[in-house]
Formats: sequence, structure tokens, C-alpha cells
Amino acid sequence: MRGDDVTNNGNTAAKSGNPFKLAGSQLDRVRDWWAKAPGWQRWIVYIGLIVGALILPAPWIGAFMSPYSDWTTVLFFPIGIYILMAIGLNIVVGLAGLLDLGYVAFFAIGSYSLAYFGTQYGWNFWATLSIGIGVTAISGVILGAPTLRLRGDYLAIVTLGFHEIVRITANNTDEIGGARGITNIPHPPDMFGTEFLFDPAPYYYLILATIVLVIIFSRRLEISRVGRSWAAIREDEDAAELMGVPTFRFKLLAFAIGAMIGGLAGAVWASQANFIAPTSFPFILSATILVAVVLGGSGNLPGVMLGAFLIAWLPERFRGLAEYRILFFGAALVLLMALRPEGLLPSRRRRAELAEGTGGMGSMGAEVAGPTSDPDVEVSSK
Amino acid sequence: MLLEVNDIHVYYGKVAALHGVTLEVSEGEIVALIGANGAGKTTTLKTISGLRPLARGRVRFQGEDISKVPAHKRVALGIGQAPEGRGIFPGMTVQENLLMGAYGRKGDVSGDLAQVYEIFPRLAERKSQYGGTMSGGEQQMLTIGRALMTNPKVLLLDEPSMGLAPMLVAQIFDIVKEINERGTTVLLVEQNAHQALQLAHRAYVLETGAVVKSAPASDLLHDPEVRAAYLGGDLGVA
Repeated sequence: MRGDDVTNNGNTAAKSGNPFKLAGSQLDRVRDWWAKAPGWQRWIVYIGLIVGALILPAPWIGAFMSPYSDWTTVLFFPIGIYILMAIGLNIVVGLAGLLDLGYVAFFAIGSYSLAYFGTQYGWNFWATLSIGIGVTAISGVILGAPTLRLRGDYLAIVTLGFHEIVRITANNTDEIGGARGITNIPHPPDMFGTEFLFDPAPYYYLILATIVLVIIFSRRLEISRVGRSWAAIREDEDAAELMGVPTFRFKLLAFAIGAMIGGLAGAVWASQANFIAPTSFPFILSATILVAVVLGGSGNLPGVMLGAFLIAWLPERFRGLAEYRILFFGAALVLLMALRPEGLLPSRRRRAELAEGTGGMGSMGAEVAGPTSDPDVEVSSK
Repeated sequence: MLLEVNDIHVYYGKVAALHGVTLEVSEGEIVALIGANGAGKTTTLKTISGLRPLARGRVRFQGEDISKVPAHKRVALGIGQAPEGRGIFPGMTVQENLLMGAYGRKGDVSGDLAQVYEIFPRLAERKSQYGGTMSGGEQQMLTIGRALMTNPKVLLLDEPSMGLAPMLVAQIFDIVKEINERGTTVLLVEQNAHQALQLAHRAYVLETGAVVKSAPASDLLHDPEVRAAYLGGDLGVA
């Protein structure tokens, strides 16, 4: 890998000076350092990140990051919400390898649960939040149970349909406001002496705390037996089954957990938004979150969070360019995926998955190692 | 009888892949399943391991009907399959791949791991390399080693020689022989009929989803029809 990087840099500098490839190999270097970093170095980074996140809403940062909109508001939505959703979708797409094109359906169900039980029954935030998470987990199972026997493209089409079903049902059910939606959704109660009303700062800290908890949860899952089962399913479902992995059960679990996190994001968002309607949950939002996951480096938590941040932040930052910003944004996405198809920060594992086909059969059994072979890496398991 | 496959019918949609395959494997044997492309060899193996559902017929293992048992539970019974070609986990290291084989097993598996490394010294050399970055021959060894880690009573091998250079094919067949001598029963699917028949005790010839011949492997090596169809006339046999 390291030798490879050197030649890569040499090539790009000599041929085209391609800045993307250069930047990409720098990112890889950071990732490689991280993979070998001892515990105390990691803790310094964790603490630095948390302190950074705490002071992030400061006006002097906002002046650069978001000259056109209120920075703290932007930090809550879209940035915070997108990051939370990307972590959730990453479990489904990045860890279990299931293509879900209707992820916003779960976000909508979480929002509607909180809004409905909050306005109709006057239940408090924590109760409605828990219900929202529970209902989305169940909806994940309901969608998954009949469809997870499908693979790849077929599953993607079904999830697309599920999103439409949820949206149209919301649109046509008067009990939950129909096309008019639900207004006057209760805000969260006071916490730590802070009032949750129109000031965006408390919501930012709420979503920050939620994100930290979900990161820990997701990471623990990833390195557990569950995570290993997902990795096996993602890499070769038949082979996983042959190893004794109950693939269907684990795919369903991925769907339910992904749905839960989507529902959590939806509920937190609705508690701030005050108003939701079926139009709040367009298909394009599902696509955007999927882009964030793939662009950032599907399967790698820091990667998908970086992806979600960029996807949420860039259009806000360049709001001054009016409609042109979407054009540039689209062009930037195309360019990035063409130059770095594995995403900004892919995991090493993912790289090896993508590298398959370059080092093996093509040589008709000659004992040639692939380009990313790296015999001196420590074995990370057990 | 360790494994009995009785009149199995398997469909892909409306197309019959197998219509009435019957075969038996007894303990300690190497049984080969030969036939042309599309004859149903791989489907037969997948039906035994449970990856394909069967429409009719029965699979018995150690006397028990396992036709309805899902694939992931058949592993624990002692059916281990090394899938065709590149059925490894490319994003896991060699060692992680092998440990996936022990997924459903309780207790210490380090002895088995050491044994697999002894059979395949190549894998020991590359144990921290990602599966996806290895050569075809190494990946082939890895699928076999990983199947051994499930501690199978019968090992189902799907085209272990596919895409390999002749020298490597010979090496893989030697290893299969060694595995069998260590006490594992082997059911082997091969297009490379000549070498498979030299290795196996008995063999079945599959044509368009049905068994057309079954006999001791040495008899099939000298069977004029088999020689004409699968052994390239007289060229294959000395």
C-alpha cells in the first residue's frame, strides 16, 4: 500500500498533476496512520473533535462557513440531520450491503410519530421520541420481512416503492393532516436549564449528543459478531450462508436498526421544525443521503459523516451563486466519483473488496499478488 | 450411508435444472460428479448445501431428511461447501476468512486453524493479506481451507481446478487427496474429468440435469463413451 501510494503520487505529478488523486492519497495516508494509532492518540483526536463540535456554532466560524444563512440553524438542519441519517443508512448500505433507495420513508415515519402523538395525545418529547423509534423499527421489519429475499436491484426498487407508499398514505390520511400536514408540534422540554424554543443552539447540542451516541452504538455493532455477519453478507451472501450465517435474520436486523436511526433523526427534526407535511419528505432526500454515504466512503463512519457534512454544507455555503450552485454541486459530484469511486474516506476493507478482480483470476492462476496486497498489516481480528 | 440424494428436481423459474438426480456418498469416499457445462453439477451441490430449494425429491444426511433445513443450519450438521471460483470474502484477510468458517462453532478452533495452515502453507504465508488481492489459485485454496474450518463430515468441492494453471491443478488435487486421507469425505464437481476420475473412488456422469452413468472411477476412465465425450478421445489417458 505504501509503495503503491508513492508510485501513485509520482504518476499523477508526472502525468497530469491531478489534485484529486493527490488529495485522495493524502486521505489514505491519514487513514493508514489512524489504523495504527495507539489508544492515547485516538483519545486526543476524539476529545479534540468533541471540543471542536462544541465551539462550532461560534459566530466567527459561522462568518466563514455560512455567510448567507444562520450558521447554528444550518448546523442543526441540514448538517446534523444529514449526518445522523447517513450513519443510519450506512448500516444498511455500507455494512450490510443492501441498497435502500427509500430511506426517507423511515425519517418520515419518525417525524409523523412524534408529531401525531405529541399533538393528538399531548405526550411529552421522550415518550413520542421512543414511540417514533419503535414504530420505525417495526416498519423496517414490515418492509424487510417480505422483501429481503430479493437482492440488489430488486430490493432497491421495492424500497423506492415503500417510500412512495408512505408519502401517498400520509397525503391521503386525514387523521394525520393529509396534504396539510401537522402543525404546532411540541418542542422538547427544558433540559439543563435551557429552553427549547426558537433559538437553534439547544437543538444543535441535542443533535450533537444524539450523533455521538449513535456513533458509539454503530461502531460497537460494526466490530461485534453482528458486524462480522454483515460484512460476510455484503461480500458474498451465498458464502456467508455456507459459513452458517443466518443471512435473512441479519439483513432484517440491519434494516430495523437503520430504520430506527432514520426514525430518530426524523423525530428530532420534527421537534424543531414545528410543522411537517408529506412534501417535507421528497425522494430527492433519500437520494441525497445515499450520495453522502457513497461519496464519503460507504462502510466507513468518518467517511460517511464527512460525505454528509459536505453534501449538506456546500449548497448552503454557496447560496450566493443562486441556482448555479446546484449545477456546480452536481458537476463536483460527478467529478469526484469519477476520480475517486471508492469515496473520500473508504475503509481498507472496502478497498480490498473493490480491488478484487485485479490481482487474481486474470493471471490464470499465476501467483501474483494484487496491487493492494499488504502482507505486513497486523491481523485485526481477535 | 453418509449422504443420499434421492430423485431431486430443481428449477430456475420454469426451467428445470435438475430432473431426478439420485446419488449416494458413503463415509470416507471421494466421489466425483462430472459432466459438461450446464449439466447441473453446481446446482446439485448447491441443493445439497441448501442454497437452492428443491421442488421434488429428498436429501438425506446421516439418515435424516434435511430437505427443508436452511443452508446455514446444514453447516453445523457437517456439510461444508467450497463454492466455485471466487466465493471468498474479498475484504477480509485470509485469517478472517478462515475464522468465518468457524462462525457457528463453539470452543477453541486454533488447532483446526493450524491444521489448515499445515495443509496450505501458502495461506499461512499470506494470512494477513486481503482475500480479494490474492491470485486465483490462492483464492481456491482459501475457499477449501475455509470450508475445512467448518469441520465438515462431507466436503463439497465445486470446480476446484477452474481457471488454474496445470501445475496448480495437480497441486490442488493432491491436497484434496490429503484431506480425504485425513478422514473427510469428499464430493467433487469437476469439468476436468480426467484428473477427477484419477482421484475419485466413484463417479457420476451428469447430462442435462440427470445422472446418465455411475460407476467406479477407474471403470469410467476406460469407458468408451465417457472417453469420447469428456476425456478428449484417447488423448487424455496414457
